[in-house]
Amino acid sequence: MKEIKVENRREGNILSRVFDELNEFCRARSLFILHYCTGCGAIELPPVMTSRFDMERLGVQPMVTPRQADILLITGYVSIKTLKRVMLTYEQMGSPKYVIGICSCTVNGGMYWQSYATAKKLDEYMPVDLYIAGCMPRPEAIISGLRSLIRNIELGESNNWKKYYENYDYYLGNQQKLFGDEWQTPVDVIGEAEHYGLVGEGTYGEHTEILQRVQQPLKPLEMRL
Amino acid sequence: MSEFLFELNMLDSLLLLSAVTVAIAILCRVEYISGGVVTLLYLAQLVVVGMMISAGGVFSSHLTPQLFGYELGWLLDGLGLYFTLITVGSALLATLYMAGEWGRRYREQGKSFRALQSLLALNVFTMQLLLASSDLLSLFISWELASWAAFALMALSGGKGLKAALHYMIYAFSGAMLVFAVVAWIATTAVTAAYQLDINGAGILQFSSVAELMQQGIFTIPEQLLMLTLLLIGFGIKMGLLPFHLWQAPAYALSIGPAGAFLGAISSRLGLFAIIVVLFKIFGSITDGSILQSSFGFEFASVTPKTLLAWIAVATIIFPTFVAMRQNDARHLLAWHGIGQGGYMLLGLVMMDSLGSAGGLLHVFNHATYQAALFLAVTSVIYRTGTADLNRLGGLVVRMPLSFMTLLIGIIGLAGLPPMNGFVSKWLVYRSLLDQGELLLFVGAVIGTLGTILSVYKLIHNMFLGSLRKEHEEVREVSWSMLTPMLILSALILLTGLFPGIPLQWVAQGLSAVGLPVAEFNLGGVMADGGSLDMVIVSMVLFSGFGVAALIFYFVGGKSKRVNPLDNYAGGHFLYASNRYHYSNNFYAGLMHLIKPWYKNTFQRLERVVVTLLELTAESLSRLYMRPHSNQLALIIVVLLLW
Repeated sequence: MKEIKVENRREGNILSRVFDELNEFCRARSLFILHYCTGCGAIELPPVMTSRFDMERLGVQPMVTPRQADILLITGYVSIKTLKRVMLTYEQMGSPKYVIGICSCTVNGGMYWQSYATAKKLDEYMPVDLYIAGCMPRPEAIISGLRSLIRNIELGESNNWKKYYENYDYYLGNQQKLFGDEWQTPVDVIGEAEHYGLVGEGTYGEHTEILQRVQQPLKPLEMRL
Repeated sequence: MSEFLFELNMLDSLLLLSAVTVAIAILCRVEYISGGVVTLLYLAQLVVVGMMISAGGVFSSHLTPQLFGYELGWLLDGLGLYFTLITVGSALLATLYMAGEWGRRYREQGKSFRALQSLLALNVFTMQLLLASSDLLSLFISWELASWAAFALMALSGGKGLKAALHYMIYAFSGAMLVFAVVAWIATTAVTAAYQLDINGAGILQFSSVAELMQQGIFTIPEQLLMLTLLLIGFGIKMGLLPFHLWQAPAYALSIGPAGAFLGAISSRLGLFAIIVVLFKIFGSITDGSILQSSFGFEFASVTPKTLLAWIAVATIIFPTFVAMRQNDARHLLAWHGIGQGGYMLLGLVMMDSLGSAGGLLHVFNHATYQAALFLAVTSVIYRTGTADLNRLGGLVVRMPLSFMTLLIGIIGLAGLPPMNGFVSKWLVYRSLLDQGELLLFVGAVIGTLGTILSVYKLIHNMFLGSLRKEHEEVREVSWSMLTPMLILSALILLTGLFPGIPLQWVAQGLSAVGLPVAEFNLGGVMADGGSLDMVIVSMVLFSGFGVAALIFYFVGGKSKRVNPLDNYAGGHFLYASNRYHYSNNFYAGLMHLIKPWYKNTFQRLERVVVTLLELTAESLSRLYMRPHSNQLALIIVVLLLW
């Protein structure tokens, strides 16, 4: 039987609701993807981008920098060295941001399950909005995955990026387990959480304490007369 | 004494003030006072010039010496006043720049501030003499004086600068010889003609009398064309017209900072001034080609001096601009642009309609403002970092924000984008080209502008944007004595961009002095058939666009966040201060890949050919008189000649 989606409307001021919905309507129709092509799944992306499947008809386009991108697309196994770069890229992206994991490798390690050098489950390190399983998924599957992400964004249900701020201690702990206690990026995640009012119960913890002890913050250069 | 002063008119007092400035700059041994005093004297000169402009009309000097039976005279009309205003203004700001901390450091390095100060003042004085000259002989004499003064100012920097100055001197001297040949030719022929035409023989070399001689047909049309060509080459050398432009960029770039700003702003425009005098005051009827067609039987109108000059002007725009794009030294880049922008001035003027000539002449003022601002900003960077090498700078915007602002406003002016003043003059030139249907010239001018935009972006990016180098962490903004002239110039660029009517009224006086049509203008822009320009509206549209974006960026949501330049994306790599992420070397690699085959150093090779030929001639002549029995040879030659 076909499942009927029930839209749960938000409460609150009608004006702000209208504004939010307009915002999400627009956001869902203009998504820029930053491809972090780590494995063999990348080979399925050219047909998705080009004329046959043409993801641009959905308003989805490739983008070259994290600051301007909305979606981080990770296409396959993530080795531990690569994961450091993926984490940096993810943290540099501006909110709201969405993560798509393509291929079985990002779900559970796939055929690299027994490897000592790969991160098995991507969502232990960053909140993933959508997995597209398969080894490798066909372009149709990717298009269908993009459509469901768009629908989720439009309904306001894809808010996983907030989880990273709210449960930062958990994600940081998993990262420290792989990379060691000295691990840090130039991005001040806790500061951002405080700035945007996204501090949750899991933001601080034992792992953030370790971070704050070793962190060498990279302050913006002040304008000097 | 007071009666004597009362006798002086304003031109006399201007020249006297200027001479006093030179004297004080030479005599005043207390160098930290002389900076201020000389600045005040320039200010007084500027006030006199301003009074003359507001009074309007023609001022003739009481200074009328006789030389070889010819009467020399000095006379300042609207055109000369316009150039004098720019000269005195740029000298004032350059002196203000070096009066304070800059001059102190210059003296501490053991160099003679007095020499710099007095040579600059001498330049201003000789240039005023040139701009006020009313006959060919006084033009030639003051031309020579101005050339030598400019040479001395360039040579003061020593080393490579001295070499560049000598290069300039060779060019300037050959140009002056061509001018002198024409003056002598006219002078010898004119004496007999003066009786026929009933002109006072002593004043025969005055521009108006010479123009009369030309119209009366004392010289045939081919002779007149030859004279015009020689004069244009002679004066074009100073202006840096192709193919005589090679001396200019190194000579100006290697001059001492503020002196370079002064020279780059106005010095080479004297060539343009002399060309305007020659083209419109003396050979007015030849320039537009009307006489040529009637005197030669066949269709001559397609290649008039006007079209030829327009094409030379476009070549002068394009080639030096693209050479500028390849420079890796900020001063050289700017100096090459100085040559290219001269092309726009000549292009507008030879169009000879109201819009084009206004644009060409207005560009002289606009160019002076932004070129001086740019040179001073670069000098400030050199003052703090010790280099202008575009591969050794970067990220200075956080340490020298006001210099950055000056440079930004200056390059917007140089690139000819609204709302700065460079846009107005270039718009006028473009409109005139389109009105006259000169599409190819228009395309050439636009290609030049494209090159300008690309290279000024390279300039500001490599110096001020990108990541700050470790060794520049402690750099500070320059002192207020240096910032003041830079900020004044920035304000001028913006103000005359918003209200081009202010300089246009001086331009109108200049144009009517040489008999060119004057466009209808108001404070905000120019009225013309089929579309006028109102900079107030243009700027309002522009600022509302940027303003909306700025409002959203800075005030709505407060979500913007400043980050360190090292917190940047490099394909996921972690960036460290030791490993710079600033792309400056081999800038525009992709474009250069496409256009590199076009850079062939043709003009350098041409110059080398001429030099080699001269050396060969000199060598073979020296064989004649260096041989053992040269006296016998000389005897034979003398006998042959006598026979």
